[in-house]
Amino acid sequence: MDIRYRRTETPLLLAGFVTAVLLVVMLYYPVASVLAAAVFVDGSPSLDPIRTIVTDPFYWDLFGFTAYQAALSTLLSLALGLPGAYILARYEFPGRRTIRSLTLVPFVLPSIMVAVGFAAMFGTNGPPNRALAAFGLPTVELMFTLQIIVLAHAFYNAPLVVRVVAAAWENVDTRTVETARSLGASPRRAFVDVVIPQLLPAVLTSALLVFIFTFMSFPIVLALGGLQLATVEVWLYDRIRTLRLGEAAALAVLEAAITLGLTYLYLRYETAQAATRGLTLRARKRLFLTLNLERLAIAAYAVVIAFVFVGPIVSMLIASVTSGGSFTLRYYELLFARRDAIVGTRPDLAIRNSLVFAVGTLALAVPMGVVISLMTARDTLSARVVGTLAMVPFAVSGIIVGLGLLQTVVFGVTVVGYRVQVTGATAIVAAHAVGAYPFVVRTVSPALSAMDAHLVESARSLGASRVRALIDIELPIIMPAVAAGGAFAFAISIGEFSSTVVLVEGGDAYTMPVAVERYLADRTLGPATAMGSVLLLVTSVSFVVIERIGAYGGIE
Amino acid sequence: MKRRTFIVGAGGALTALSGCTAGSIIEDSTITLATYDSFVDGEDPVGPWLKEEFEAEYDVTLEFETPSGGINQYIQRAQQDAEINVDLFVGLNVDELIRIDEQLDVPLFDALDGELERSDRIRDELRIDPEGRAVPYDTGYISLVYDERSVEPETFDDLTDPATEDQLLTQNAQQSDPGLAFLLWTIHEFGESGYLDYWADLQDNGVRVLGSWNDAYNAYLAEERDIVVSYSTDQVFNGDVPRHQIGFLNDQGYAQPEGMARFSDAPEPEAARDLMEFMLRPDIQGGIAERNVQFPAVDDAELDEEFDSLAHVPPEPVTFGYDDLLGNLEGWVEDWARQIRS
Repeated sequence: MDIRYRRTETPLLLAGFVTAVLLVVMLYYPVASVLAAAVFVDGSPSLDPIRTIVTDPFYWDLFGFTAYQAALSTLLSLALGLPGAYILARYEFPGRRTIRSLTLVPFVLPSIMVAVGFAAMFGTNGPPNRALAAFGLPTVELMFTLQIIVLAHAFYNAPLVVRVVAAAWENVDTRTVETARSLGASPRRAFVDVVIPQLLPAVLTSALLVFIFTFMSFPIVLALGGLQLATVEVWLYDRIRTLRLGEAAALAVLEAAITLGLTYLYLRYETAQAATRGLTLRARKRLFLTLNLERLAIAAYAVVIAFVFVGPIVSMLIASVTSGGSFTLRYYELLFARRDAIVGTRPDLAIRNSLVFAVGTLALAVPMGVVISLMTARDTLSARVVGTLAMVPFAVSGIIVGLGLLQTVVFGVTVVGYRVQVTGATAIVAAHAVGAYPFVVRTVSPALSAMDAHLVESARSLGASRVRALIDIELPIIMPAVAAGGAFAFAISIGEFSSTVVLVEGGDAYTMPVAVERYLADRTLGPATAMGSVLLLVTSVSFVVIERIGAYGGIE
Repeated sequence: MKRRTFIVGAGGALTALSGCTAGSIIEDSTITLATYDSFVDGEDPVGPWLKEEFEAEYDVTLEFETPSGGINQYIQRAQQDAEINVDLFVGLNVDELIRIDEQLDVPLFDALDGELERSDRIRDELRIDPEGRAVPYDTGYISLVYDERSVEPETFDDLTDPATEDQLLTQNAQQSDPGLAFLLWTIHEFGESGYLDYWADLQDNGVRVLGSWNDAYNAYLAEERDIVVSYSTDQVFNGDVPRHQIGFLNDQGYAQPEGMARFSDAPEPEAARDLMEFMLRPDIQGGIAERNVQFPAVDDAELDEEFDSLAHVPPEPVTFGYDDLLGNLEGWVEDWARQIRS
């Protein structure tokens, strides 16, 4: 089975080489430059920084709570996301594609926007509480609790579950279900024995990603919960800010050890799932045909979605046109006037940069991800190690990556006598691609490992080159997974902040999230919420457009 | 070193040409000022205005840089021998001065306070740097902002009273300037040995410590709570309305002076010094204060009357100086943060 991979041909090798170079320059070397402080003190190897942390009961509590809230957030994201994946994969209804495109929107929103939206929607004076009060019912106090943090995490991450699982669900082979049914299995039995095993890799992938993301959560925790509910990342940020880099590095190493450990365990499971798979896809059911229990449940789910997702987003938009309780377009006028600003951040430039970088990231991250997936779609130790290392962009705190980039490629690195600096647009696209490609890997790998390996072998034995086999056999089968990964790559690029803000380095390559942050002055929220709303609208439109283009190109 | 020939349109070209014939090239130096985001972005920011005023009087082009890591960017550059191509840093706090001195053995800034002509007009209580590197150019006062229809906090004890239960919002002192100022204010009041007990009482009374100023103020605007730690200039934005009353605990307010300093290896030291001198002029001091929504650092600033009536100065400003904080700050903040967290 391994022979076909050993005979990898030049184009794939080249792509693998480019990927490796990008990873070393924009990720491994910068991150290592920071994390070295965890194991070196004054130039000599030492375990003191890590020992200081693991012997401090305070940090045990901090790590324990961080993992606990991440686990809760993962469960809620699954609970909110899985029904959505089912509906998008199994039902046909007007606007299905548009809704699927828009699922990614929460994923890119700056935390201040989510904080504004959540406080307005779920606060003491939000619409639900006012409705409860109007009926004389007791109100629900969610602000500054663990519950609202978990809910906000689900707001960010349930869309991820929807996308990853829906892509897998669309790929469930209808013949396996029909066979089970014709052999006398009930629909429930067929679902449990046939469909669930085919979905499990995708469900676990998304759960792993959600856990890692919420484990690293930071601004939203402080905005909605407070220091009383702080996570590890809050302490990490403090250590970076006060330049206590040894302790910061030690914290980051422990975080990464936990998340990478989980990744490794997951990969052992995923690569062991060697299923065989054909190509017959199931037809979708029409949603608005008959009324039965299932469709009633879907209606109830739609209400929950409106409540958790649409509510906060509408609240953000309202906040951007409200000042002192009355309607105003002042903040938008301000943004509009800033197009001509000689000094400072121009909104139009931020929009353009964000879109250009996102398209660039898409073009770079998708091939990178597919290549890494092909290289790791085997059940071997080395494949699992490479697969685990591929997840480093998610497993290492964004704050650490940002600092690493700053003190290496931005400050300049001396290479054979020359001081080499990498900043600006190209560096940002490269950094985004490095930050986004794990998504492609994590969506494509399960699809690849579930694919019938004999298909490629047959093609190869009939004389097809490796690249030809990839284009003609594998890509068409894994296309929904590639499309899902590509959509995430685009979204990651739009939303990325911590590396971007470092690589802009005084230049004009700032993006929309950077503009939002810069408009946040310690005196007023207005201009930042207006810019955040622009980000929301621009992103929504571009998601829909991309999906349409994909549909024309035959990518579902 | 950044130099560029300055040619504007046909007239400018003509000037340059005539300059050439006279045997000299008209050149215009550029200085770079590093500062925080809201100095150049935000509503009517001070940066563009300052650029226009300064360039109208001097043959110097003023440019801005807003590094995301603030002063850390330059501390780290100095540590790693990377170039600092910046002339001036504007927006230094006392805790940052301490960090600079703890991290670096070589001087990052020149000491210019006292050498500037208008140094003697700077209010003495704002001087945060015993070495005179950071020259104060404005100050803020941390106070409470509260809703007088529900609460009336006048003393520190009022905040631990059942009347203000579950009402106070403040910020994480690890990351937020007003949050740190409020913490230091309580240490100023209760001492190193008493502040944690006071905070234990605040915790019992339901204080909520959020992340940034934005987080806390956003929750206040959503009317989650009726008291928030903020700036005494709050009414400049919101007017004198019941929801935006200024509370000076025990008639105090915690002063947060901001300083400017010239980098030791500034490419344009003379022009940078001119800009510092310029920024201390009475009319410019008034303009900076109004646009930054802060208070001037000099005693003869020209301030707009409406601004003056809405921006409140505490009867008794308090603050910790450099020497009080050196060696103490990190420990105070860490002990506090751990108590809040557990």
